[in-house]
Amino acid sequence: MAQVARQVVEKAGINVDELLKLLVKNASAELTTYYYYTILRTNLIGLQGEGIKEIAETARIEDRNHFEALVPRIYELGGKLPDDMKEFHDISACPPANLPKDKHDVMGILKVLVEAERCAVRGYTQICNMTAGKDHRTYDLALAILNEEIEHESWFSEFLGEGPSGHFLRRGETSPFVSKFLK
Amino acid sequence: MQPFIIYYMLKSACMKKFNKSDLVYFDGKNGRPAYIAFEGKVYDVSASFLWRGGAHLVLHQAGRDLTEDLQHAPHGPELLSRVKQIGIL
Repeated sequence: MAQVARQVVEKAGINVDELLKLLVKNASAELTTYYYYTILRTNLIGLQGEGIKEIAETARIEDRNHFEALVPRIYELGGKLPDDMKEFHDISACPPANLPKDKHDVMGILKVLVEAERCAVRGYTQICNMTAGKDHRTYDLALAILNEEIEHESWFSEFLGEGPSGHFLRRGETSPFVSKFLK
Repeated sequence: MQPFIIYYMLKSACMKKFNKSDLVYFDGKNGRPAYIAFEGKVYDVSASFLWRGGAHLVLHQAGRDLTEDLQHAPHGPELLSRVKQIGIL
């Protein structure tokens, strides 16, 4: 634990135990989403499915990166991760991104993906709101993750035809916003 | 009178009425159902993954009127359309 780092956050008026619970729940969401996206990706087949497989894979890898980036901050603030993998799943800040009933329904899979990203966008917005101007390091991290989650939401939303597209698949490395926390 | 107005009047008349002290019991803990209120309507969130154990994302507890809380949430009341209204406050 980084004692002074925790003290300054408490002194700024943040309930650190509450913040830690939120960080752990969001880390759990990232890890479980990484798993569920693996299943979704493998079912993206055929002419339609293969077309979005790569973008689903990028979102999957970046969600795992988000988990990796959150873990050090949780321990710095004096928190810990669940000992039990099942608990991870059950405390997740977002519902399971299960396959739709028809597992080869590409539009159905896209709707699952976009809902998962929207849940994440809400979660990191909440953490940013809580920490803005008070816990600079957590804010910086949550904002970096939020930037990537918003892009993920946009990708899937645009594939669903919800509006004009302003985004492209990543060119180059994954996690352009979060990578500074992974070095 | 328009049929939809009659429908909503009948629906309201059939809804269970709660006051804030009734609502406290439905906190989602120890097997109790999880109910929340928003703008005079009571919703059953017991089956929602996001309300497991009667708490929503650490900060919100079932058994309460969350009208004020929702003003500060990162989402609007549109998400309540996913759960069933079971009464009025």
